[in-house]
Amino acid sequence: MMIEINQISKSFAGKQAVKNLELSIPDGKIFGFLGPNGAGKSTTIKMMTGILPIDEGSISMNGVDISKEPMKAKHLFGYVPDRSDIFLRLKGIEYLNFIADVFEVPKEIRKEKIEYLTKSFGIYEALDDHIQTYSHGMKQKIVVSGVLLHDPDVWILDEPLTGLDPKSAYTLKEMMREHASRGKIVFFSTHVLEVVEQLCDEVAIINNGHVQFKGNMIEMRQQFKEDDNLERLFLELTQNE
Amino acid sequence: MSKAWKLMKIMVKMQLSMSSKSAMEKAGYFFIALMMIPFGLLILFFIQGIIGNLYATLEPLGNESVILGLLFMMMAFIFSFISIGTVLSSFYFAEDVESFIPLPFQPYQILFGKSAVPFLSLYGLNTVLLLPSLIFYGLHSGAGILYYVFAIIIWAVTPIIPFVLTSIILMFIMRFANISKNKDRTKVLVGLLGFVFVIGINVLVRIDTGGENEDLARLITEQNGLLEFVTKFFPPAYFSSITLTELGTFTGLLYFILIITLSALAIFLFLTIGQKLYFKGVLGLSGGKRNNFKEENVQKQVKQQPVLFSLWKKEIRIILRTPTFFTQIVVQSLFFPIFLIVLIIIDPNSPLTGWGSDLNQMEGKKVILAMFGMTVVALGINPASFSSISRDGKSWFNHLYLPIPPSKVILSKLLVSFFLNFLSLMLITIAALFILEMPLTIWLLWFVLSLVTSWIASIAGLMIDLYSPKLTWTDEREVFKGRFIGIVPLALEATIFGVIILVLWNSGLEGIWSVTAVLLTILVLVSVCAQYFLNRLVDRNYYKLL
Repeated sequence: MMIEINQISKSFAGKQAVKNLELSIPDGKIFGFLGPNGAGKSTTIKMMTGILPIDEGSISMNGVDISKEPMKAKHLFGYVPDRSDIFLRLKGIEYLNFIADVFEVPKEIRKEKIEYLTKSFGIYEALDDHIQTYSHGMKQKIVVSGVLLHDPDVWILDEPLTGLDPKSAYTLKEMMREHASRGKIVFFSTHVLEVVEQLCDEVAIINNGHVQFKGNMIEMRQQFKEDDNLERLFLELTQNE
Repeated sequence: MSKAWKLMKIMVKMQLSMSSKSAMEKAGYFFIALMMIPFGLLILFFIQGIIGNLYATLEPLGNESVILGLLFMMMAFIFSFISIGTVLSSFYFAEDVESFIPLPFQPYQILFGKSAVPFLSLYGLNTVLLLPSLIFYGLHSGAGILYYVFAIIIWAVTPIIPFVLTSIILMFIMRFANISKNKDRTKVLVGLLGFVFVIGINVLVRIDTGGENEDLARLITEQNGLLEFVTKFFPPAYFSSITLTELGTFTGLLYFILIITLSALAIFLFLTIGQKLYFKGVLGLSGGKRNNFKEENVQKQVKQQPVLFSLWKKEIRIILRTPTFFTQIVVQSLFFPIFLIVLIIIDPNSPLTGWGSDLNQMEGKKVILAMFGMTVVALGINPASFSSISRDGKSWFNHLYLPIPPSKVILSKLLVSFFLNFLSLMLITIAALFILEMPLTIWLLWFVLSLVTSWIASIAGLMIDLYSPKLTWTDEREVFKGRFIGIVPLALEATIFGVIILVLWNSGLEGIWSVTAVLLTILVLVSVCAQYFLNRLVDRNYYKLL
């Protein structure tokens, strides 16, 4: 098991955002983390990535505990945040260089990777411009490129497809499939059921801070029919977009 | 016009609202207001002393009007100078204007609303400086009620003309600057231009007033001669002075009507010219330039560097490229050393030139202590350090998921403020060694002490910011505006080092070397302590700021 989430909880000012959440994500899977807005997806992801301290419970990747050995754990994953308006005053190439320095990517590999990734996303020719001048989709693409530079084992993507044009969304999905087929993990959150159906091997549905369902796609459809609660959730998820 | 009023009220509310301030910030305002009282009394005392002395000297010669002339000139200069910053940031740097442009407002209405806050800050200064000065002048000249009535009106109109002139010039520059492609760089340049303009005027005035000593006698003996001479660069100052010195005469009344008309005309011009120019300067300011893509350029930039250096470079780049950060941090810390150097260079006969060589005759201990004291004050308010964390704003979380140890991020930020301080220290060095001709040993001792002081100041500012950062800004100005916490490190350092200086000054310890050694030991100890507390604060707060 590559990602282990053990009974984590988190509350903000008395309100519990995540309650005893338990998940284990096996290798080689594209794992969808599905839930309506405000369900606790982002909070969980922020705890997985070390942005938010965990109140109770623990999270480990490849056996490395994120709270106990944060630096080691952070080298294992690449994270695409849900907001892409970051480092606006840097040029695309400066941003990528900075991220590569952080992950100590050697010069030759970095050169090759930058070229490959940005050309696949069609932003290579914008690398010498400030990120400020990018469109929303381009910002998303530069962040994704940065994350993939050091070839992390685990990809953690918070709503990665929002704002991408169909072609880039396709490219990213292909990359996700390829990554999983190499035995690695892609963990991504979304509030759109359709994306999960197209892409995921496994899915966890989260609502009000805990997991309501976990399993593969066939099981999910079955459950939707049988469980009243899930059916209501299903309606919410399909109405959302 | 009622639309314009409503707009202005909303804008003032948004900019001055206390609702988003925490209880701690509110307490901070109160504390600062309290601290201002003795400071204010001190200023009043000074003003009263200066006016009293000048009046006693000039009155027998019939030239007392020059006091008012100087006063109005000084105010005009201060108002123009302050307006450069406030006008640029309110009219052009604030991105909120983009949400007003799509609404059905005339440019002049938005302009009117946007002027409110810069104007209010001018009136704040006006009340602190000009009002008491006019009252003291009235007291010394034994003026009647008529004087005070006119003085109040003159007081009320004084900021208008300098403000309007500055804004029109800036609107004119921005109208053309907007044609350029790199908006950020343009904003930075215009900000710099403003400061160059101020230094330039100062240079002009000084060059012009030099070498006319032989005329001085004539000027002094002639009634109002000095006044004409002093105010020749800014006639409204002349009109205001005459109004208040020739009270009840036809001339006085004439000049009073003149100054009122001029002010009204200025407002009219401001709104009509603004209507034509403002939107042209503001449209598309938030855009940016796309480079022509050159593959080699990109390839050249791909290189591996240590993370610490990479972090430092990222910070410096962001400071240099963000207009607000550039003007608030770089320009502010470099402006005064440059200003000083320019003033000394253009006036080689000034008493300051070669002043350093006199230092040898003074007691070494006192020299070094005094210089150290000045350095503490000069480096105390360091916008780079107390904005270290807040500058990141909502991007702060990036430091949390990237595998960079907190200590490294913090160190890179300390190095940024240290580096910027270092630049001003280097400028002061140039002035000290080449213009003031300070002895090399004294400079060296001062420089070593200053480096350590600068490191402590950087830590102090960063700690304050880490303790109470402002990360939720939507506009970079919020990082500096109304955040008086920048004064806290200065107050702290001034207290600690003030006591140390006092003790050493009065101690039996003699000789420049031994005093420096003691001071350096204390400084190193203080910086070790500061580092210890910083580390604890980092452990406690670093992951909990969001």
